[in-house]
Amino acid sequence: MRVLDSDTDGRVTACREDELGDGERLLLKVGRRRIGLFRVDGRFFALHGVCPHAGGALCEGPLTGTTRTADDFFGFEYEREGRVLRCAWHGWEFDVESGQSLADPGLRARSYPVRIDDGAVVIDLRPPRRTTT
Amino acid sequence: MIDCDVHNGWDSARVLLPYLDRSFRDYLDRGELPGGRDSFPHGHRAWLHPEGYMRYDTLPPSGGAPATDYAYMCEQLLDRYDLDYAILLGEEGMEVSTLANPYYASALARAHNDWVLDTWAPLDDRLRISITVAPQDPEGAAAEIRRVGGHPSVSQVVVTSGSQRPYGDPFFHPMWEAASEMRLPIAAHLGGQGGVNANPTGTGPPTFYWETHAMLCETGMGHLASVLAHGVFERYPHTRLVLVECGVAWLPAVLWRLDADYTALRKETPWLKRLPSEYAHEFVRVTTQPLERPRNPDALWTALDDIGGRDMLMFASDYPHWDFDDPFTTRFPAEWRDAVLDGNARALYRLPAARPREEAAGAGA
Repeated sequence: MRVLDSDTDGRVTACREDELGDGERLLLKVGRRRIGLFRVDGRFFALHGVCPHAGGALCEGPLTGTTRTADDFFGFEYEREGRVLRCAWHGWEFDVESGQSLADPGLRARSYPVRIDDGAVVIDLRPPRRTTT
Repeated sequence: MIDCDVHNGWDSARVLLPYLDRSFRDYLDRGELPGGRDSFPHGHRAWLHPEGYMRYDTLPPSGGAPATDYAYMCEQLLDRYDLDYAILLGEEGMEVSTLANPYYASALARAHNDWVLDTWAPLDDRLRISITVAPQDPEGAAAEIRRVGGHPSVSQVVVTSGSQRPYGDPFFHPMWEAASEMRLPIAAHLGGQGGVNANPTGTGPPTFYWETHAMLCETGMGHLASVLAHGVFERYPHTRLVLVECGVAWLPAVLWRLDADYTALRKETPWLKRLPSEYAHEFVRVTTQPLERPRNPDALWTALDDIGGRDMLMFASDYPHWDFDDPFTTRFPAEWRDAVLDGNARALYRLPAARPREEAAGAGA
């Protein structure tokens, strides 16, 4: 667990880009907030560490794939290898990029925007801007 | 706060060797085992959890299996939630109920109890022990309850909810008699759906792990009905039944049905003097985890309130298992919290009414 402070703009520099290999993660504590930073296929994703289901340790579970049904209904097709995060407590599955629950369309783990700034991985903790549709 | 379902494990069942009767020690040392050299002799259930049934984050940093490291259990559970007491139920020990050989099963239960009283009980005054017995050997179970039931750390007897027949059956009465004599509840904990316990649910075997896990509440219903109908608490009034991890939402529905049918056919069980639900209210306790979550939470509490659920429910987390309930985030009605999170278990297990906080904090030293 890496303990960091955010800057006055609500951004936190988590690590250097080359500190994490694909499939690896960094657990962060920023103030009272827990965050998991994941590197998947060269891209970085940050999720809030507290599972929206029951407050579990979301970012400490395995980063894995999942199974969908094949076209013949009773088949099994493995997909999304390395892009599905299972909460460490109850095993609920979330898309590591969007935070979307795979089973419950109404449930989403908070994801934070991440950008690479001169080799540094910077997470933006500011509240998401409200958009109108 | 009291957590009524905490599992304490081992890295290898071989820790039992020094505690096992000489006649059976070789069985464990050189005999056949279901899962390799360190595994515990039991008939495993036919539904394998596709991710393993432990919380992923409970592996101790010191190495070893979940809930084998007392310090890490303190960090993740006892201290984190400021528990006054944790009722330990062991991990695999209760699965002795699945073995065909009742004498080996009882020997393993005795070894398990001596091991847990020797190694876990002295660690911390907050830890309360459930002694394991082999229900398929009712006389052996009764002897074991009398042998170790008086140990000051022992709070209850535990058996699996998987069984060869429901626990009210007169076959099991020696076990109830001994528990009543020793003033101990008997807990039926979800599990033991393997080996000789061939009736996991009423329809025959389900298919998937989650399907099975959700439906094993049926075992709690069956034991409840049986224990009430056979008048166990009329005959043995100083014991109690605790249903652990069998669900709570079904309890009102089943008690309503039992009351209705008993009222019509009272003559089948003339030893009963009260309605089944009245016995249940006084003599049966149910642990909350995994608590059902209706879309409207009030739907659960309204039904439970009808049968006096506030007096019957006891909080449980099931640490370190995958379906853990967090006492900080699990929702109970405000006016139920004291009873469910503390008072009901404190009364059942006759735990001291108040513990000074400094004493609790220093107990693990």
